[in-house]
Amino acid sequence: MSEILPSFPNSAFVQDIVILAKPALFNIYFAFASIPFGFPFAVVLALMKNSSSGLVSRIARVYIYAFRGSPLFIQFFMFYSLMLAFNLSHWKPMGIDHIVMHPLFIGPLVLVLNTSAYAAEILYGALRAVPHLELEAAKAIGMNRLQTFRSVVWPNMIRLAWPAYTNEVIFLFHATAIVYFTLPVINDEKDLMNKAGELFEKDYNVFLHFSVAALYFLVISLMIFFVAGLIQKRLNRHKVPTDRQSLSYKPTFLR
Amino acid sequence: MRKIQISVALAAALVSASAMAADVRIATEGAYAPWNFMDDSGNVAGFEIDLGNEMCARAGVECEWVVNEWDSMIPNLVAGNYDMLMAGMSVTDERKETIMFGDEYTPPDPSSFAAASSADVDMANASGLKIGAQGATIQAAYLEANLADGNDILSYESADQAVADLVAGNIDVLLADTSFLEPVVNGSGGTLAFVGDKVAIGGGVAPGYRQDEGELAAKMNASLADIKADGTLSKLLIEYFEKDLWAEQ
Amino acid sequence: MLEALSLWISNHVSADAAMWFDYFTNGKHLAWYASVRFTLIAAFGGAALAVLFGLAGASARRSGFAPFRWLGWGYTTMVRGIPDVLIILFFPLAFEQGVEWLMAQQACSAAELASGVWPPCDGAQWYLSTTEYLIMACVSLGLVYGAFAANVVYGAMDAVPASQLEAAKAYGFTKRQIFMRFQVRQMWIYALPGLSNVWMLLLKATAFLSLLQIADIVLWAERLGAPNYFARAGMLHPDWRWRYYLVLFLFYILMTVLSEYFFKFLEKRASRGMRLNQGEATA
Repeated sequence: MSEILPSFPNSAFVQDIVILAKPALFNIYFAFASIPFGFPFAVVLALMKNSSSGLVSRIARVYIYAFRGSPLFIQFFMFYSLMLAFNLSHWKPMGIDHIVMHPLFIGPLVLVLNTSAYAAEILYGALRAVPHLELEAAKAIGMNRLQTFRSVVWPNMIRLAWPAYTNEVIFLFHATAIVYFTLPVINDEKDLMNKAGELFEKDYNVFLHFSVAALYFLVISLMIFFVAGLIQKRLNRHKVPTDRQSLSYKPTFLR
Repeated sequence: MRKIQISVALAAALVSASAMAADVRIATEGAYAPWNFMDDSGNVAGFEIDLGNEMCARAGVECEWVVNEWDSMIPNLVAGNYDMLMAGMSVTDERKETIMFGDEYTPPDPSSFAAASSADVDMANASGLKIGAQGATIQAAYLEANLADGNDILSYESADQAVADLVAGNIDVLLADTSFLEPVVNGSGGTLAFVGDKVAIGGGVAPGYRQDEGELAAKMNASLADIKADGTLSKLLIEYFEKDLWAEQ
Repeated sequence: MLEALSLWISNHVSADAAMWFDYFTNGKHLAWYASVRFTLIAAFGGAALAVLFGLAGASARRSGFAPFRWLGWGYTTMVRGIPDVLIILFFPLAFEQGVEWLMAQQACSAAELASGVWPPCDGAQWYLSTTEYLIMACVSLGLVYGAFAANVVYGAMDAVPASQLEAAKAYGFTKRQIFMRFQVRQMWIYALPGLSNVWMLLLKATAFLSLLQIADIVLWAERLGAPNYFARAGMLHPDWRWRYYLVLFLFYILMTVLSEYFFKFLEKRASRGMRLNQGEATA
C-alpha cells in the first residue's frame, strides 16, 4: 500500500502542488471570467421573470428552466457542436481570427449562460422576499419606480440573495472542472482535471494526483467563502445583531 | 455484523461474475474507421475486429470486445479491465515502457496532413496555423515536438471530433494516420485535400498487452503468423483499406 | 415488427420517410435508446444511496460521540468543497486499487508483493465491466449527493417541533427511541423540498456516466452524431452531433419536469398525513 498512499509531506506531494498551480489558474480564470457577465445577465433575467408582462416573464421562465433543468456537460457539448455547425469558427469579431471557438472564450460563454440561470432563480427568490413594509414606505413618501428600485428593492435583493449567490459561485467554480472534458486542448492550456488525469496516466497513482487537484478546489472554495463572508458582513453592517438574524434569507446549500 | 457479511458476499459475487466472462477481453475505441468503428447495428466492426476474431479463433480462445475511450485505453489495460487492446495503436518506445506489444499486423503507416481544399496551406513553412490531432497519439507528440513553434496545437478526445473541427474550419490542418484520413478526404466530396508531405512517425500497428501477459502474447503472435502466412491478412487489408499495406514495403 | 412498419410507411407515406424510419430504428439507434437504462439505474441507485448516506451523515453530526460528529462534519464539508465530477472519477479508481490491494494480500506471494509492480500477481486482478462500473457510479453519486442530503436532513431534524420531542420524553421514551421514532420519522416532510433539489442535481450528474466507460446516452449520442465518411460504418453524413445533443438537452428537461410533478405529488401526500397526525394528537 505504501506506493499507493502518499506518505504525507513527501516530495511527490509537493511536486504535484507545484505542477498543478498553473492548471489551477485556468479553473480560476473560467470562473472569474464568467461572473462579471453572468451576474448582470442574472439580474436582468430575474427582473424579466418578475415582469408584469406575460411574454417577457415567460421568456425568462423558459430560459431559466431549460438551463437549470439540463446538465452543464450536455450544454457544453451542444453549444460547441452547434457553433461548429453554424460556421462560427469563420466569424472574426473586430478582425480577430479564431477567437469564437477558443476554449478560453467558449468556456466562459457557456458557463455564463448556465450560471446566470441559477443566479437568476436565486435573485428572483430574493426579489419576492423584499419586505413589503419597506416598499409601502417608499410609496408613501412618493418615490417613483426607479427610485424605489434603487433605494429599496436593489439593496434588499442583494443582501437577501448574497449567501445563496456565494454558494452559486462555488458551484460555478466546481463546474469549471468539466470545461476541458468537452473542448479541445490548445497547446499547454490545461486545467486541473486535465493535468491530474495526465499525471495519473503516467504512474497510476490515483490517490496522490487527484487528492492534490481536490485540495486546490477545496482551498479555493474556502477562500471564496471567506471573501464572500466579509462582503456579507459589510452588506449587513447597518443591522443590529438580533435584527440580522431575523432577516437572514435561508441559504439552501443547493443549486 | 450481518450487514458486513452481506457486503462481503456482494463483493465476492461481483468478482466471480466478472471471472465468468470470456477468456480474453479485447479493448478497442470503436471510433476510428476503417480500423474499428460501430456499425449500423450498433456492434463494433472493422479491420481490427475481423482480425482479432480470427486470431482468437485460431488460438482457440473465446474473445469479447470492450469499447473504451482512447485516452484511458492504456491505463485501463494496465488496471486489468481487459487483457489486450487492438485500437490502431502504433508501437512506440514510450508506450513500450508501460505495456508490451505483440507482433505488428500492419507496417508503419506514414501520417498525412489534411486541410480544406480551398485553403492555401504551406506545410513546408508552417506558421500561424491551428493544427489538430487526436490527443495521446503519435501525431500529437510529433506536432508538439516539431510544429509547436509559431503554431497552435489542438488535441481532441477522438479523431472524429478533430475531423468535424477541420470541416467546420476551426483548425487549418489535421494530422492523422493516412489510412484513417483517406476515406475521409475521398468521402468529403472535394472539400478536403491532402497537403504537404507525409511524415513517418512511430512503428507499425500491433496489439497491446500487460507486461506480464507473455503467454497470451505468444499465443496470439502464433495465430497472427498463421493468418499472415495463408494470405488471410492481406485479404482483410484489401477489404478494408483497398490495398495490402504489407505489399508496399 | 420494425420491418413491417417500415414497409407500411414506404407504401402509405413515402420511401423517404421509410428511409428515415429505418435510420432511426437501426441497431445503433436502438442501442442508444436502450442505454437510457444506465442513466435511470444510476439515478435511482444513486438516489437511494444518497438518502442512506444523508441519514448516516446527519445522524453522525447529531451524535453524542464527538469523533462521529467530526466525521459527519468532515464528510459533508469535504464533499461539498470538491467538484462532483472529480469524486465520480476518483472513487471507482481508488476503490478498484483498494480491492486489488486486499486481493493481493491473499493471492500473491511475499516476493511478488515486494516487487513493486502493480498489480503484483494475476490473482489480484479485478476485472471491471459495465456492471461493476455502474454499481460504483451509483456509490459515487450516493457519496457526493449524500453529503448534500445530509445537510438537508440535518436541517429538517431541527425543524421537527421541539414540543413533540418533549412530549415523547415525558412519555418515557429513551433518547434513541425519540431520535428514531420521532425526529427521523417526522423530518421527512421538512426535508422533501431540499431532497427534491438534491435529486435534480443527481439526475444531471448522471450525464457523467460516459466518463466511467459506460456506454450511456451521451456516449451513443457522440458516436451517432460524429461525421461518417466510411460507407461500411453506415449512412454517410457530416457532423450531426448538435442534433443528438439537442435531444439529450430536451430529454433532461423532460426528466426535470416529470420529477417536479412527482415531488409536488409527494409533498401533497406527506403534508396531508401531517395534518391528520396532528389532528389525532390534539383529539
